[in-house]
Amino acid sequence: MSGEKSRSRVLQATKKIGELILEYFAKASEAKAQGKPIAWVTVFTPVELLRSLDIYPVAPEHFGAMCSARNFILEYFKEAERKGYSQNLCSYSRCGLGYALSGMTGLMPPPDILITFRNSCNVYVKWWQSLHMHLGTPLFVGEAPYVLTQEDLDNYVLDYVVKQLMRLIELAEEKFKLKFDEERLIEAVKLSDKASELWLEALKLRKYKPCPFGGRDSASDIFPLVVMQGTKEAVVFYEELLREVKEKVGKGEGVIENEKYRLLFDGIWLWYAFDMIRYFEDKGAVFVYEPYSEAWAYRLDPSKPLESIARKILSMGLNVDIDLRIERFLKNIKEFDIDGAVLFSNRSCKSWSAPQLVTAEVIGSEFNIPYLIFEADMADPRQYAEAQIKNRIDAFLEVLRER
Amino acid sequence: MSISISDMCKNPEKLLEKYEDSGVKVLGYSCSYVPEELIISGGLQPFRLPNIGASTSKLTPTFICQFASAVLENILKFEEIFCGFIVAHTCDPMWRLYDIVKKKIKKPVFFLRVPHNTEGELSIDFFGKELLRLKKFLKENFNAEVSNDALLDAIEICNMNRSLLKEIYTLNSDGKCCVDGFNRLQLTIASMWMPKDEINTQIKALNFKSNVAGSNKARLHVSGTAIYDLNMMKCIEDSGCFVVSDDLCTGSRYFWSNVENYHGNPIYALAKRYIQRTPCPSHSPLQNRLHYIEFMIERFKAQGVLIIANKFCDPMLYDAVHIRDALAKRNTPTILIDYENFEQEAGRIKTRVEAFIETLSG
Repeated sequence: MSGEKSRSRVLQATKKIGELILEYFAKASEAKAQGKPIAWVTVFTPVELLRSLDIYPVAPEHFGAMCSARNFILEYFKEAERKGYSQNLCSYSRCGLGYALSGMTGLMPPPDILITFRNSCNVYVKWWQSLHMHLGTPLFVGEAPYVLTQEDLDNYVLDYVVKQLMRLIELAEEKFKLKFDEERLIEAVKLSDKASELWLEALKLRKYKPCPFGGRDSASDIFPLVVMQGTKEAVVFYEELLREVKEKVGKGEGVIENEKYRLLFDGIWLWYAFDMIRYFEDKGAVFVYEPYSEAWAYRLDPSKPLESIARKILSMGLNVDIDLRIERFLKNIKEFDIDGAVLFSNRSCKSWSAPQLVTAEVIGSEFNIPYLIFEADMADPRQYAEAQIKNRIDAFLEVLRER
Repeated sequence: MSISISDMCKNPEKLLEKYEDSGVKVLGYSCSYVPEELIISGGLQPFRLPNIGASTSKLTPTFICQFASAVLENILKFEEIFCGFIVAHTCDPMWRLYDIVKKKIKKPVFFLRVPHNTEGELSIDFFGKELLRLKKFLKENFNAEVSNDALLDAIEICNMNRSLLKEIYTLNSDGKCCVDGFNRLQLTIASMWMPKDEINTQIKALNFKSNVAGSNKARLHVSGTAIYDLNMMKCIEDSGCFVVSDDLCTGSRYFWSNVENYHGNPIYALAKRYIQRTPCPSHSPLQNRLHYIEFMIERFKAQGVLIIANKFCDPMLYDAVHIRDALAKRNTPTILIDYENFEQEAGRIKTRVEAFIETLSG
């Protein structure tokens, strides 16, 4: 490689995320102090519904990502491992369990209810069961069956999820003496839909050359869509972000000055190793599309709030049939004019990683673009062989350069 | 189709060849949540897909449970012998195994969605609808018409098989020592591979007497998912114990409960039986599984529990923590035996089981 370095830029909006996260957790503690119920939820659960019920949602997965990014995750891992949880288990879950076992004195207030829908993985069920066993907190386990065809979003599969949502409402009303208010739900659905609309629009603008924002932005800026769906704050954040991205597009300003390669990143980000994204950017390669960034946004129909939420829970990226996933993949490789794909084989996320080789084969055969597969863990830095991975990145970029 | 149970368990390929020679349509299925009754009533032979005889697949990453990976390899290797496959939604690797199989083979593949929360009527109702979809799949792909009468007959013959296995199993109850883990595992696996009438006839002809040698050994319960490798059970028992009970899905979880009250609405009765049986480690609620393990320990007077888990089996690795906690409260000793490749690790496993048995007698 020439060793040429390009200057990387991060959105102003992204710089505000840290503050937003701290505010979010401060509000969680306030809610707890006011006696409002706190729900620990897996992501892709009906956060809008919880907001309408005045139940404050906290996502231990997000907490795991944050602990990893801020380098204080190891103490929670150790606590979980001391209890007997294997290092081969999902690192988010080891962090969440370690936090629960060590007294829950950090940012996440103790839960009053544990809510999960099995959609992106079975680990959700096992992790939430484990929390329930350790804490004794009431548990709701929902099922979002694997979506095999588009018809499933309208047939008995959808009906099953809607009925489970109704069961969850009954449970919350009974347990916390709350009253479900459909008007509040509609309001939350409208706000959630607006945030999704704005984020999807911003993501589309990455089709421009040069790409206005890259992996470090998209990794951080999904946060409001993880647990803040249905809030005005989330909408305001994405309005500002979109305005900034449009400005950048207008000025023709990209992530780096000399964009040479446009890349796809498949997987969850390595939260402790954001410098890996910078490493790509320094060599002229920008991430312009990630299924992960797209997965958080889903358009909702306020006239059918529960059905709409049920479709959202069902349709999360990993829960739709492999043919539908590959179809979306291929469409975006074309639309975003992708030069190469980086597939992160994540030891923690088996549901994501298991079929990646098959996906890679299709990418290779349909588009003849090179791909790199590397193995590490999304939140556990002990399983990251930095020098080896960077060597492989260099080789991959060399292949791109010679095409 | 005369073939001895022990020969067949050692070499299932022989049985598959016999099926092929006699023109029997064999439908491979992945786990004990798939109702064999529906397959049988459609005139097809169910055959549960094992991990034995295959190495791990190059199509999966190294950190994916080797069991699922080897099952995948067997599907790819024996695709031609089977008319199709059914994969049930249990753990993540088995879920994704469906994705890979779908992209890699030409034979019809059905994905059976099993609710992971097995409590309540909603789950039964949904699973019943999945069974109706499966019925349609059988008709469309194999012209296998499932009539009501055929389904009732199939339920009856499967109930008979489960009752016979349970009868053999309970010969060890209340501290008695009759049928070791090796023999029981062999009969259960044979029941998942052979025609039901044939295996039922063979089981009826068996006559187990009290096992005097076994009565001097430590009585152990084996907890886990699926074990097809008889050598593994032999290795455990050769370490100086008598496996009196288990909660394996190639063991007691396969047959412990029957389909009840099925004459009115057999599909509903099937859905109810499969959803309400003791949940597999990937399913909820865990408490039902823990109660079952405690019940088995009590009933079969087990002195200790071997928790057998593949090194990358997420459901078992989570459950192991809670099984140990629950059993510690009742002073039942446990040991976690994790492994990646049994054949290569047999010596280590034997040494660990021997050490565990020593602590029991001490």
